[in-house]
Formats: sequence, C-alpha cells, structure tokens
Amino acid sequence: MSNLRLINETTASSVSSVSITDVFSSDYDIYKIEVVGQGAGSTNWSRLEFLNTSGSTISTSNYDFAQHEIKTYGSFSENRTTNNSQFLYLWIDNDSAGGFGNTMYVFNPMSSAYTFILGQSAGEFSTSGNVNTKYIGALTETTQAQGFTFVRATGTYNNITVRTYGLRVDS
Amino acid sequence: MSLVQVATNTVTSAVSSVTLTGIDSDDVYMVAFNNVGLQIQLTKSGTAQSDSEYDYAYKNLRTDTTFSNTSGTNQTAISLGNTGTATSESSQGIIYLYNFNSSSEYSFFTNETCHFNATPFLTGAQGGIVHTVASASDGVNFKMSSGNIDSGTFTLYKVV
Repeated sequence: MSNLRLINETTASSVSSVSITDVFSSDYDIYKIEVVGQGAGSTNWSRLEFLNTSGSTISTSNYDFAQHEIKTYGSFSENRTTNNSQFLYLWIDNDSAGGFGNTMYVFNPMSSAYTFILGQSAGEFSTSGNVNTKYIGALTETTQAQGFTFVRATGTYNNITVRTYGLRVDS
Repeated sequence: MSLVQVATNTVTSAVSSVTLTGIDSDDVYMVAFNNVGLQIQLTKSGTAQSDSEYDYAYKNLRTDTTFSNTSGTNQTAISLGNTGTATSESSQGIIYLYNFNSSSEYSFFTNETCHFNATPFLTGAQGGIVHTVASASDGVNFKMSSGNIDSGTFTLYKVV
C-alpha cells in the first residue's frame, strides 16, 4: 500500500472559495495538496487560510509568506508578506483558456508547533503569459488547523479540484 | 504518484547524525524531514561521504529582505538551512533523489525547504545539489554543522 494516502478529493464549480474541513489529524504530520482548476472573471491570485478544529477561519495576522515569481514575460520577481491574515500569491489564473496547477506540502497542522507550507504552481496571467511560483509560508501560532480554504482574491473559479494526501510514516 | 516507505528515523534525544539507506533501484526517491535544521550528504554502502564533491545552487526565499542566490562547488556537505533549538525554530523539507543507484552517473538532489530561525524570520531554499562522483549511492545522511540533532523525523520513500 502506498504511504501517500488520499484523504479527501473535493471538486467545486462557480465558487469564490473552497473549504476542505476535517482533513488534518494526528495520523500524519506532513500533507500533500494538489490543486487544478480554472478561474472566471479577471485574472487573480489565489490565497490560503487555515481552519481551526471548529471549522472557523484562523484569521489572525500570523501568516508569513515568501514567493518567487518565475514568468515568461518581464523580470522574475518576489512577493514577501509578514503578519498577514492569509497566505497570498499562491497561484494566478485567468478566465477563458487559462487555468492553473499547484502542489504544496503542509507540515505540522495539528501539532503544538508552527504550521509550515512549501509549494509551487503554474498559471496564466491574462494575455501576458505563463506565471510559475515557488513559495514558502509559516503560520506563526500554535493553533491546531484541521482544514483549509483556498480563496480567489476576487471573482470565482469555473472549476477547482483539491486532493489532500497524508504522508504516512510507519514506525 | 505513489510513495513506498523505505526507511524512517524519529529522533527524540540527541544524536550526532541520522542515516537513511535502502536505495537499491533506479527509481526516484524522496526524503521528507520535519522539525530539524541540518546538513545533508549521501551514503555509499551506508557510509556518509565527506569528500569535496558536492556542488549546489539555491534561490533563497526569505521574508526579512530581498531574495538571494547561493551556490558553491567542491563542498564536503550541503546545508539545508540554519536553525537551532530555540523556541519555535524549525525546519521542514522535501528532497528528491535521482540516479543514486547508478554506478555510471552522478547523484542528484532537488530540494525545497523552509525554516523558521531564531531572529526570527521565515526562510527557505529552492534548488539542487549534485555529488560529482559516478558511483552508486544507497542513502542519505543528515547532521548538524555543529552539535547534535535533538529531534525530528526523517523518512525515505521510493516514488513508484
């Protein structure tokens, strides 16, 4: 049996956000999250916020984030935020023929330590071209996170599929 | 993608290093580590290689200032990040291993890491490492640049 265990697969359409609840547990310390989809409306970034054990958004200003933007037009660039209420700039997408893919890892969401993410994405920015990202993030508080929400900055997703896996460690 | 666990080691009291072995095929392998900051080397027949044959290049992401590039050649070990044991200091990472089982090609790593250090700020590296010796390797060794590894979990998976 694979040590990469599918915990949840959620597909949604015509939504501005998608929440995945009750996926983090003491069974795993590390999770892999794959996201594919397509946005609607103007080009926008997608964001991430964690959900506590009651299913409520952890909206404290404790999200630190650093992202390297690797693109087919202009110079590569970077985004850095500290003490924000979300992880910003995960991936960018636009409507029509656009779309995106994103793979990220989440560490320690249910432990008494900080929660970390690292990941990468590929997407499309309007008519400018392809935008890829590499990013890291830390939720600098010890609140247990049992789930998460992807939020489009504005507009909606035509469709979005989120797969959450646990990395099983057999002792 | 599927992952098959090959080896794991959870450190709960101080040790000088951690070795994971069991690479015995041409598959890609992946190492996940959690809660530690350290250096990495590969192993041949279970022995960590400290020769000056490691080259690396990273893009360093950080929240405190502008990102930077780091590279080096002919190193004896490669740092995966600098953290200690102060409250909230922590390191995490995913490392893929390529060509380790080959006796005629170099061994390659790709690494994605993130660390919260004592300053404190968030930092991490995206890049790769090569060990420029064309002989088979069977695992990886983790150690601190100085001192012991006090805690952490290290797991080696085969990607199938």
